[in-house]
Amino acid sequence: MIRRNFWSKVILVIVAAFYVLPMIAMARFSFQRVPVIKLGWSTLGKNWTADSLIDAVTSERFLQAGWLSIRLALLSVVLSLVILIPTTVYVHVMKKSARSYVEFLSILPYVVPPIALVVGISGAMKVLGTWFLASPFSLVPFYVIISLPFTFRSLDTSLGAIDLKTLVEASRSLGASWMRTTRMVILPNLKVGIINASFLSFATVLGEFTIASLLLKFTLPAYLAESQGSNPQGTFSVGLLLLVVSSLMFALMNRLSKRKGHALTGLTL
Amino acid sequence: MNPQETALRFSGVRKTFGQVTALDSFDLELKQGELVTLLGPSGCGKTTALRIAAGFEQPNSGSVFVKEKDVTALPAHTRNMGMVFQNYSLFPHMSVAENVGFGLRVRGVDAAERDMLVREAVGRVQLPGLEGRYPHQLSGGQQQRVALARALVFQPEVLLLDEITSSLDPELVSEVLDVVRELKASGMTLVLATHEMGFARDTSDVVCVLDGGHIIEQGPPSQVFTAPQSERAQQFLQSIINSGRL
Amino acid sequence: MNLTVRSERDSLAERVPFGVFKHMRSWVVLAPFTLFVAVFLLWPTFSVFRSALQPVEGSSKPAMLEAISGQYLDAILYSVRLSALTAGLGAVIGTLVAVSAVSLNQFKGLRNVLVGYSAVAANLGGIPLAFAFVASLGMQGLYTKLLSVIGINLSDLGFKISDFSGIVIVYLYFQIPLMTLVMLPAVDGLKVTLKEAAASVGATPRQYWRSIGIPLLSPSLLGGFLLLFANAFSAYATAYALSAGGSNLVSVQIRFYLQGNTITGKSNLGYALAAWMIVVMVLAMSGYLGLRRRSERWRK
Repeated sequence: MIRRNFWSKVILVIVAAFYVLPMIAMARFSFQRVPVIKLGWSTLGKNWTADSLIDAVTSERFLQAGWLSIRLALLSVVLSLVILIPTTVYVHVMKKSARSYVEFLSILPYVVPPIALVVGISGAMKVLGTWFLASPFSLVPFYVIISLPFTFRSLDTSLGAIDLKTLVEASRSLGASWMRTTRMVILPNLKVGIINASFLSFATVLGEFTIASLLLKFTLPAYLAESQGSNPQGTFSVGLLLLVVSSLMFALMNRLSKRKGHALTGLTL
Repeated sequence: MNPQETALRFSGVRKTFGQVTALDSFDLELKQGELVTLLGPSGCGKTTALRIAAGFEQPNSGSVFVKEKDVTALPAHTRNMGMVFQNYSLFPHMSVAENVGFGLRVRGVDAAERDMLVREAVGRVQLPGLEGRYPHQLSGGQQQRVALARALVFQPEVLLLDEITSSLDPELVSEVLDVVRELKASGMTLVLATHEMGFARDTSDVVCVLDGGHIIEQGPPSQVFTAPQSERAQQFLQSIINSGRL
Repeated sequence: MNLTVRSERDSLAERVPFGVFKHMRSWVVLAPFTLFVAVFLLWPTFSVFRSALQPVEGSSKPAMLEAISGQYLDAILYSVRLSALTAGLGAVIGTLVAVSAVSLNQFKGLRNVLVGYSAVAANLGGIPLAFAFVASLGMQGLYTKLLSVIGINLSDLGFKISDFSGIVIVYLYFQIPLMTLVMLPAVDGLKVTLKEAAASVGATPRQYWRSIGIPLLSPSLLGGFLLLFANAFSAYATAYALSAGGSNLVSVQIRFYLQGNTITGKSNLGYALAAWMIVVMVLAMSGYLGLRRRSERWRK
């Protein structure tokens, strides 16, 4: 037993190191103006500066890409919620038998990798005419699709945590109007799901590269790919920032859902 | 086999978990073929006593004897005692027959003989014909009876039953208790931790009431239930009677 | 005056306004969602297959068959090898992490931190992750330098972060946490009581693992492997960034075929590769879901 505990700790420490070390290396590269060759004990503490990050985030290209990414993320979140909330509420309150059908559709995006999807998009959408794909906002519906597994699951889990149908019937039989019932019974249970779905969707869109780059849209990840050569330190620092922001979002979301009693047992599953 | 031989004996057993004393000065002797019921409020130590007998916990001091052999230091899988748990603990990926036959398989019993013994055990718990079913296809009462069959098929010295009816719906309790009654009638030595007062009063040879890790009352049911000697036991039994469960 | 009959009929959902939904066929209510998925997922997918089944210019075979012959097969096998390797390694290490966390369950909160972190790390990837590893183990990497100081020269050993082995290491960064998330509930399902039940009928610890522990974990182990395989196989951004677009992986190669399409006339090959990717994904994901269903049945 003691021996097993020892090896357990060893494994966890090694894996934790594997998770943390690359981030440290990234931070060092971004914020220290000392090339690796010259790095040694004497130079370890020198020349740490956030200049590269500041330069990058104030640059024209970054602001352009960042602003587009944020708008795309927000629109994707809104569109996801607009489509999914009525659908999930319906299958939980009115027609439970339809739930498997909706669930099945929601996991279909898993089997179409983004690269395959974008290939199909260029082929299919030609029929529609080039106006659709020309706008950067054409990414939004596809972003909704690729986040579908997570967003559906978030809403579905939060609604499924209690027997919503019975609660709604109880509320109605006590005399509450539909508006009241929605406000006081349905929405509170949806709140956690909405928060989760939004965060997940937002973080996914911020980091999505495949579809954006092949459809030639200039989003944050595309900015990263482009500026890598011209401003490596700045670009890496922005990348690190993105990672930190995404991690914080996921962590926050985890925290929130746990407090309300909904454990997120695996985001992607 | 001498029917008056001691089958199981606890001698001065003491067990603490950190600051909590789960059992103290626990002395209990069971003769072959007797049924002892351990009663008491939750946390009184009855489950701990069973687990120590089975070998899943080690006492801080004191000993456990099976047929006068000191087994205190022996690992659980060598003690030849059957145990049935509150939550059945059937192996979910195995059929009824495989579950029941598992103890025989690890003892190297060959397939033909295993088959026969399994069928016999399954018949004894009133579940003939269900050998091919899987645990998730059975009701709680049926699962518990399979657990009983699994525990007795290899003819253990003693059967330890830890609140085996506590997880069951009321209507399923009696079918399990019927099997326990039949096992006692056939001469099996049984230790039962339970809340089923009626069963304890009607079927036990010895009743042992625990509270806070100590035995506060021990004796035949006729004595314990009608004339308990300690005040705490009186309170406990009175509250049971008041709640209508007796 | 049959009041009871009337109240039965006058069921809750039959009152407007939302009650209107009850009268509508369910397919009407589900139509927007269905339509959305059809237009933005199914139609592009259909388009992929339609082009994939056309022949490549200068040949009579459908592109999909062409794609698995000769040189094109290389890309597919390369991706399969990479995915299988990262899935295998990720499965083993992820399981070890899950088992370790569960056996250290006296440390309250460790489990929660692990789940939280794994949930984050499993979704990290793409360009920033590639950057992090370039900064660590690339030519100018921090740890490359550190290793050379203690005598291990990575470039002498022929290691490059953009090569196969480099990509494997980077992929493990999100494969391991994904497997951990899959295995934690499975290891939990191996409740202590099962081990005790086995001991109570006389099984040694080894017999327990062989007959009960491993069989109960296998569906999750295998399912997790398939999930990780699918995850690696469909990845694009990370490999693209690491190899600057030059990798031999199917996902990256598809782009090559489509960017130069009008000139070489081989664009259908790109579609064919994409179609094969989808086929592989369908197989892997069905396997994963089927196995997951089985292990959930046992965990009831």
